Amino acid sequence: MISIEELKYLAEISKIDLTDDEINRFPPQLNKTIEYIDILEELASDESITMDLHEINFDELRDDVVKKSDGQPIIKNLTEEGFLRGPKMK
Amino acid sequence: MAHLHDLLAYEVVEGIKGQQFTAEQYVGSMIKRIEDVDSKLRSFITVDSEGALSSAKIIDRKIKEKVDIGTLAGVTIGIKDNISTKGIRTTCASKILEDYVPSYDATVIRKLKENGAIILGKLNLDEFGMGSTTEYSSFYSTHNPWNLDYVPGGSSGGSGAAVAAGECTVSLGSDTGGSIRCPASFCSVVGLKPTYGRVSRYGLISYANSLEQIGPICRSVKDAVMIMNIISGKDIMDNTSIQSTPIAIKSKLGKLNIAIIKELINGSDHDVTRTVYSASEKFKDIGYSCEEVSIKNLDYALPSYYTLASAEASSNLARYDNIRYGFDFPIEEYKWDTYFSNVRKNFGQEVKRRILIGSYVLSSGYYSKYYLKARMLRSLLKLELLKLFNKYDLLIGPTMPILPFKIGEKIDDPFKMYLVDVNTVLANLAGIPAISIPVGFSNGLPIGLQIMAAPCQEQKLVDASLALEDTIDIQRRPKSI
Repeated sequence: MISIEELKYLAEISKIDLTDDEINRFPPQLNKTIEYIDILEELASDESITMDLHEINFDELRDDVVKKSDGQPIIKNLTEEGFLRGPKMK
Repeated sequence: MAHLHDLLAYEVVEGIKGQQFTAEQYVGSMIKRIEDVDSKLRSFITVDSEGALSSAKIIDRKIKEKVDIGTLAGVTIGIKDNISTKGIRTTCASKILEDYVPSYDATVIRKLKENGAIILGKLNLDEFGMGSTTEYSSFYSTHNPWNLDYVPGGSSGGSGAAVAAGECTVSLGSDTGGSIRCPASFCSVVGLKPTYGRVSRYGLISYANSLEQIGPICRSVKDAVMIMNIISGKDIMDNTSIQSTPIAIKSKLGKLNIAIIKELINGSDHDVTRTVYSASEKFKDIGYSCEEVSIKNLDYALPSYYTLASAEASSNLARYDNIRYGFDFPIEEYKWDTYFSNVRKNFGQEVKRRILIGSYVLSSGYYSKYYLKARMLRSLLKLELLKLFNKYDLLIGPTMPILPFKIGEKIDDPFKMYLVDVNTVLANLAGIPAISIPVGFSNGLPIGLQIMAAPCQEQKLVDASLALEDTIDIQRRPKSI
């Protein structure tokens, strides 16, 4: 079960600031879901089952091909000089 | 003649090619229709009237010049707003992407345009596709055209409502756990989720890559086939995409063996169950065999789906840092360690909940308890379904276990909302194709039948759907709008 402390930790690793209201409201909501997915524990582990659905081998990947973008810049914080602007480190 | 906005896709193409009306007249009538009804429905996030009219003029000019105009010439398409459209804002119904304008077209968009289809605009959804009612859009809820107080389903609710109300000829949705079939069922239209890989996901903004597919929402099965045959196929930009053969309108497969999934019928509302049984009787009338079967692993399907979808979401949505793409939020006022979590405050509540659940099931100690078990269940379920498909051509049941409900009715209980996806997630977990087709009403609210087939057996889905469509006599257009 997710406590308020654990919620704060999850928010930190997910990089999301939660409001006080969310900190109070989320634990019971999330715990309902956790309780529900707890049923998965009943399944006995079976190593004979292959779990490779949809996976693609690395050697099947296409080559990277460099193309010039013909639309507007994809990157939002690109300066005219071609630098990427980010928040200050300190 | 009926209103132009009532025409099906193949009728539009015939009308324009036969010069009964011009593409410009047709597109003009669709824009007028949006102006007339969208203030009530709120299906659209962006309408590209200018772009649509200029594409229509090009088609009309090509007709005069006797140049080929493509198999979808003049067909207007509404696009779920999580599919990238070059030069048209693509928001995912999220504040985080409020100002994002893609610099490229998704493969499906490129293919549609190459075949003469006209992009009319971008349609509302639950933020990033996470929801079943379109109430989790950061902008506004979409309303059900059959009763404006009710939800249209989700997450492709705008795509369902716009097609049902004749605001666009057809639409594209995406389906991660039922997001095409749920609104198709709630809005009484046809919605097809293809076999995983049949349609390229290049340009679909990711929520849960291993589960989702783009597919059509239409007012007839024939229209869905037309769209599928254009958007399907191997794409070098999506390594999970696969080659496929075109779907025929008249195949030679003959009578099919159908099985009703007992648990899905038993878990549904009485009126839904009754209507689905009556549809299965119609299958028997046309000579299909029909019996009941059980799925052993069904109880684990939805928990497994929410574990996997949330895990993939938490990883996919980590990219929204508002540096590479995003919305108007000052960079100067924050330092490195606080900027990102402040920016990401702007995700909606449901998106936050799923990211947090995803982080939880992937975190140390819980990974093998939840994530690995969910993946294992997925394989077991797929094996079980494939075994059933050795014996039966199709598995059927209600698309949704309940009727559409009122806007606001379930919004305060996110968990209750999850439970409505119980019938649809099977196809996503197993990667198999599934369609929802309209089969009836209860108190004026639509009921959809879900048909599932083995991987790449879309032809069987279409055969059965066409046969049923012919025998079911129901109201096709909502009167209230």
